[in-house]
Amino acid sequence: MDLFIQFLTNTGYYLADYRHLIMLVVGSTFVYLAIAKKYEPLLLLPIGFGVIVGNIPFFKGFGLGIYEPNSVLHYLYFGVTSGLYPSIVFLGLGAMTDFSSLLVRPKLMLLGAAAQMGIYFTLLSALAFGFLPKEAASIAIIGGADGPTSIFLTAKLAPHLIGPVAIAAYSYMALIPIIQPPIMRLLTTRQERLIRMPDVERTVSRKELLLFPVIGVILCCFLAPASIPLLGTFFFGNLMKVSGVVDRLAKTAASSIIDTATIFLGFTVGASTQGDVFLTPKSVGIFVLGAVAFSIATASGVLFAKLMNLFMKSKINPLLGAAGVSAVPGSAREVHLVGQKEDPSNYLLMHAMACNSSGVIGSAICAGILWSFLA
Amino acid sequence: MYGLEAIQAHNGWAMAFTGAIIVITGLSVLSLIISQLHRIIDMIDNRSDRKSKKLNARSQAAVSESKPELPPLSNLGETMNRFKPLTKEIGDPFDLAALFRIFKLHNDPHPHLTIRSLREQGYLVPAGEGLFSWKHQ
Repeated sequence: MDLFIQFLTNTGYYLADYRHLIMLVVGSTFVYLAIAKKYEPLLLLPIGFGVIVGNIPFFKGFGLGIYEPNSVLHYLYFGVTSGLYPSIVFLGLGAMTDFSSLLVRPKLMLLGAAAQMGIYFTLLSALAFGFLPKEAASIAIIGGADGPTSIFLTAKLAPHLIGPVAIAAYSYMALIPIIQPPIMRLLTTRQERLIRMPDVERTVSRKELLLFPVIGVILCCFLAPASIPLLGTFFFGNLMKVSGVVDRLAKTAASSIIDTATIFLGFTVGASTQGDVFLTPKSVGIFVLGAVAFSIATASGVLFAKLMNLFMKSKINPLLGAAGVSAVPGSAREVHLVGQKEDPSNYLLMHAMACNSSGVIGSAICAGILWSFLA
Repeated sequence: MYGLEAIQAHNGWAMAFTGAIIVITGLSVLSLIISQLHRIIDMIDNRSDRKSKKLNARSQAAVSESKPELPPLSNLGETMNRFKPLTKEIGDPFDLAALFRIFKLHNDPHPHLTIRSLREQGYLVPAGEGLFSWKHQ
């Protein structure tokens, strides 16, 4: 009988408290959104299920939990805390990214830079809310709207915040269709939204495509060496793709490798949100500031595009500024859809992709800068 | 510590301002470079094209200096008509060495080439045993 009672007291049913239940609801909601609503399913499904797995109560000391040394989850989580998974994800991203649209419209790169202002504004806000500088930087990087970059920087500066920061970053990326359009409409007039971007007739030569990753990695990593783990692999992946001599490697990086890293990244980040660690006032603050960061990043891009229009002969559609955040391709798609609502024959997608890919570079540089400031 | 005091104490203004300047400068420079990249590539390509064209022209000139041009095909018939009477003294069929001597004697600038062209175009017809005859018109 004692054995039976002992067994019962070790079950999850006995050990569960309200925090576990809340997180189980959160995890189930993510799974629902991924499957039923198809909101960023590649991210929300592994994270959501990870949240469920991570919040099954267990008897501490068995070596089961993600924070217990020598547990299987702990080993898998090493890829997050060491910054390994984000680096691998960037390799795959590079192998998937086509920079042609950016190379024919280089001025749109400035919008990718402008959208990073959300990061610095949130840095100040987080400091003002009483977060320590390393925590503030980890929260601020959510404004880059780049999950792997947020996880990478948080792992380096404030590992105890990985769970909330990652969940906030990925949640806001999934909520792009809800967050961005109102900001875009609020900051632009109908006339501005109707602006058509001129088609560029020039075709990008192979030499340009080959030189870009080499020039990009040298220039960006010389400027912010701390971004080497992200941009080094990113540009390497892209060089493999455009070189045409290692198609097998490029395809593997863009499929099996990035998929494997995404699975483990999402699952372990989800599992790291154990109720007792995750449900704290700090997490609430991170979610609020994350939303601020993301909204300001969107607004900065739009406003900077309007500023550029004051000095340029051929006007830029200011909606494109919202694609300067690095949520690829979600924000570019949203910019295109908002533009098409005003004029169904206005195709902004390729232009928005140019801003989007420069946003990826911009947010990785920002992560490098913040890491070097605070390391 | 909260508010502006916290920002000031943690050097927040400097971090935010410097960080923003660095990322904007970095991406602006990258943007400037890639906007000029195709022009630089075109310039290098054109330069190497011009170089190779020059080299080709030079080598063509060198070839034309060292190797005389083949007699124009349209003139070969005329050449045959001119030399046919002169070869009567060496008989018919004749060997090409004798024909060479006659061409040289009458100041043909490139006897070898002329004979080769006459053979290739069928004005000199093999008559067996290494001898040749003029084509019958």
